Amino acid sequence: MKTKLNFNNHRLIIMFVLALLSGALIAYRLIFIQFISHQKYTSQAEKNRTQILYQTAPRGQILARGGEVLASNQAAFSLYYLPPFEMPDEKILIEISEAVSKNTFKSQKDILQIIKKSLKSGKAALLVDNLAPKNIFALAELQNFYPGLYLLEETKRYYPYGASAAHLLGYIGTMEKSTWKELSGELDYRLNSKIGKSGIEKRYEKELKGRDGGLFLEVNYKGRVTQIMKDNRWRQGADVYTTLLAPVQQAAEDAVRNSLTGRGAAVVLDVKTGAVLAMASLPDWDPNIFTPYNTGKNNESKIKISEYNLAIQGLFPPASTFKTITALAAYESGTLDLKHEDNCTGHIYLNGREFKCWKAHGPHIDFIKGMEQSCDTYFYNLGLKTGSYNIEKMQRKFRFGRKTGIDLPGEKSGNIYGPTKRANLKTYWFGGDTLNLSIGQGELLLTPLQMAVYAAALASKGKIWRPYYIEKVVSPSGKILEENKSELVEQVKLKDGAFELIHKALKSVVDNATGRGAKIKDIAVYGKTGTAQNPHGDDHGWFLAFAGEENEEPEIAVSVLIQFGKGGGAQAAPAARKIIQAYFDLKHSKDKQENENVK
Amino acid sequence: MLNNNSGIKTRKLDWPMIYALIGLCVMGFFTILSAVSGTKEMVSIMRTHIIALPVAISAFVFGWLFNYQIYAEHYKKLYAFVIFLLVAVLAFGIVARGSHSWFRFGGFSFQPAELCRIALIVITAAFLAARPRQIKSFKTLAIFGAFILPVFALIMMQPDFSSIVVTAPALLILLFVAGVNIYYFVLIIAFVLMAGIFPILWTYIGLYPEVLDNSVILGWVNSLSFDIIPCLIFSGVILALFIIGWFMLKYFRIFVPFSLTMVLAFSMVAGFFGGYFVNKHIKSYQRKRIEAFLAPTADPKGASYNVLQAQIAMGSGGVLGKGFFSGTQSRLGFVPERHTDFILAILGEERGLIGTLFVLGLYILILWRIVFIAQNSSDLFGYLLCVGIFAIFFVYMAFNFGMLIGIVPVAGIPLPFISYGGSNLVSSMWAMGLVEGVYFRRLSLI
Repeated sequence: MKTKLNFNNHRLIIMFVLALLSGALIAYRLIFIQFISHQKYTSQAEKNRTQILYQTAPRGQILARGGEVLASNQAAFSLYYLPPFEMPDEKILIEISEAVSKNTFKSQKDILQIIKKSLKSGKAALLVDNLAPKNIFALAELQNFYPGLYLLEETKRYYPYGASAAHLLGYIGTMEKSTWKELSGELDYRLNSKIGKSGIEKRYEKELKGRDGGLFLEVNYKGRVTQIMKDNRWRQGADVYTTLLAPVQQAAEDAVRNSLTGRGAAVVLDVKTGAVLAMASLPDWDPNIFTPYNTGKNNESKIKISEYNLAIQGLFPPASTFKTITALAAYESGTLDLKHEDNCTGHIYLNGREFKCWKAHGPHIDFIKGMEQSCDTYFYNLGLKTGSYNIEKMQRKFRFGRKTGIDLPGEKSGNIYGPTKRANLKTYWFGGDTLNLSIGQGELLLTPLQMAVYAAALASKGKIWRPYYIEKVVSPSGKILEENKSELVEQVKLKDGAFELIHKALKSVVDNATGRGAKIKDIAVYGKTGTAQNPHGDDHGWFLAFAGEENEEPEIAVSVLIQFGKGGGAQAAPAARKIIQAYFDLKHSKDKQENENVK
Repeated sequence: MLNNNSGIKTRKLDWPMIYALIGLCVMGFFTILSAVSGTKEMVSIMRTHIIALPVAISAFVFGWLFNYQIYAEHYKKLYAFVIFLLVAVLAFGIVARGSHSWFRFGGFSFQPAELCRIALIVITAAFLAARPRQIKSFKTLAIFGAFILPVFALIMMQPDFSSIVVTAPALLILLFVAGVNIYYFVLIIAFVLMAGIFPILWTYIGLYPEVLDNSVILGWVNSLSFDIIPCLIFSGVILALFIIGWFMLKYFRIFVPFSLTMVLAFSMVAGFFGGYFVNKHIKSYQRKRIEAFLAPTADPKGASYNVLQAQIAMGSGGVLGKGFFSGTQSRLGFVPERHTDFILAILGEERGLIGTLFVLGLYILILWRIVFIAQNSSDLFGYLLCVGIFAIFFVYMAFNFGMLIGIVPVAGIPLPFISYGGSNLVSSMWAMGLVEGVYFRRLSLI
């Protein structure tokens, strides 16, 4: 049958063999793609559908002793752009950027630029961060309308007490590129991460930071999120417990702020431990300005603040508060005669030079009166009797001119003043120097913190503590990462009765005379005023104090410095009173509560 | 083959082919379902497909039972019908995706070009079968050219480039197997090469202009694309070379008819100008496809995006695949045209290498069965009809698989029985029915 047809069969066979060959080629390529290159394509497919967003962990809290939260976190949203796979029209991009711009205060041009960059790299990009929850409704709607927009809930730093303890807490800000290079190796920092820039925020950055989370999002080709594949939850940073008493801290700040100039420093120490109960330094700032909700106007780099911490960096002559040292030196060297009385005519002469007292106090000025009235004449004479060397020795005993060792960067050591020091500097010591030294003027300089440590040493009869302000650092799981205990640096040993004498004198200063401004009913307040001469302007007012319940050991030591505050009695003493009052109010209300609880 | 076994003798259907078709259609159904699941079009697409399936089976039964030899007598009417359809679609059809190629009645649309692809095979087979003695003659080829060109012109007016891409090679294969003089193939191939190489070269130069720096020849080739004078010089050079070549061959006592030499030379010149014309009128998306083929990694998000994503889908499927409805490339929309031209990518992602090799195997099986049936057909028309249908499915397979694995540029060619598309499914099933019809009547003597 086949023979009747002259089919050109070999050409058909050629074509069929060709079909088989192309089938073989196709099979080879299929095996190559699906078997040999399987891994490569699998990772590409994963890359296609996965977008990773980092989620900043909430920083650890910073707390005061009473549990008050000084630094916490607030909900804030970040708006991300997840690039679609197909290049969208320029028109749509402009539309998106305009819509986002309208709701976030960020300029349309910037947003468009970020979107374009993101499209180029294929990676998710942060459009706007720190969005307030009240802006979210409009943005959530946009998210539904335009694929590619994604809102992520994060947190931002918030300081409920505003400027309170700003110098201690510090602030956070976007890190510099150089810092990122250092830190990115250790912890999960990204270029736009915020880090502590000063204070506790900087010192405990590692502990406060926590671990950032990561969201693995599955996105479709339009950039719309279809599901969350994996959620590596963030871990909150460790909490830092400070030794601060929030009401006392507030009182200290208010007291300085409401003084004549509103500038100055106040330090409150726990006499029994050296813990810093309050440390105020004004001018200060509100650290919240570095972490505001997005309003389009904030520009971190333009903010100017005074990071100068007067309490540890401000150096001032101790002035009349130093008379306590002169008195102790005299007592120690046996030259102090409590019965001796001076006649203050308002000045004395030494080697033909006139040295003035701030007031002509008249006759019958004994030691207590001299202290009460802060009579320079009395202490000129006492200093001459005691000798400058003994006074210098007493400064050294109380560690003047040396850092207190508080764990804060930039602490100043101040300096000691006396003949040995002069000799080291290869200059001469004159009699007039002794007079200046006796009343605390001249080259001697102290920080308010040193003054407070000194006050605490007087109060505790010679115990010099290393001041500390961090009680402990506790991880979220409750593990204590760091704990500070009080550290006795030195026990000053003086002749018996020396401290009792000073206590008596300082009590009567507050009760009867120049320190009256610090007097509080039913509280034993000990204090000494000081007026540091300032050749460049108004004098600075000092007040050194410690206080305790009536007939009990002193509990707190306070130093107040009002910059340009003129007299110590008029400005610094009332400020100290407010601070001490705040401390005891807090203590008594706590006692009362405890008593009620017991009942 | 016809001895002994009475079972084969009386069999009315070639069952291996039927099984292969059922296998492909089932694979196709589930792959389309997976490809469109979760999209807005899912319901309408699946509904259309479910309606198209019985229509396609009817078309198969029609092709099988309706005596194919009737087409041989009435192929001119069929030709007239094809022309009518193509004119009508230009006049009354709707525009979808930039081409004027759809009829729409009620809720359904129909693409006449799909039917015409098969009809052209039928017509050509009938035309050649009608003049078995003159197949080798130039006149036959000329007549063939005369009636095929208007059809192509009408298709290009839609425009439906992919129909040409499928039909033209299939018709060439049919002519070749039918026994057309090999010399004419040399002419056609010379024409096609000239028409194809130059646009590709120009596109390549456009992609990598730096190649012009050190190449005199390429610089000159480039100048051909925009200046008519070098084109004329180039044509003259071709003619001159052929004339010189003819004289040289004559000198070595090799005699080739001068006329044939000149026809070849003119066909090359014509091919060159054809390429020139194509280059001037090519659509920008078509040029992008050529660019993507020439440089697939140059712009992964641009023109080569489709192929790259399809390959990622297939490659990530591995040997066993990710399972139905589990392909991420598919589900998340990274593979474009995923229920039509690129459906193999979805199959590869979800059913793995096993799935793609299975489909490939079924295609080879079908091709083999068509060849087998062709060899057993009872008349020349049946033989040529089977060869034509073999050719068109060979082209479908080679181009659709080839496009996915990166050896052929993207041309928008579906994979029959797997891809979604009612018109294609129905006309492909009709074609299979025709082959079964030839098998059914293999023992008849007309």
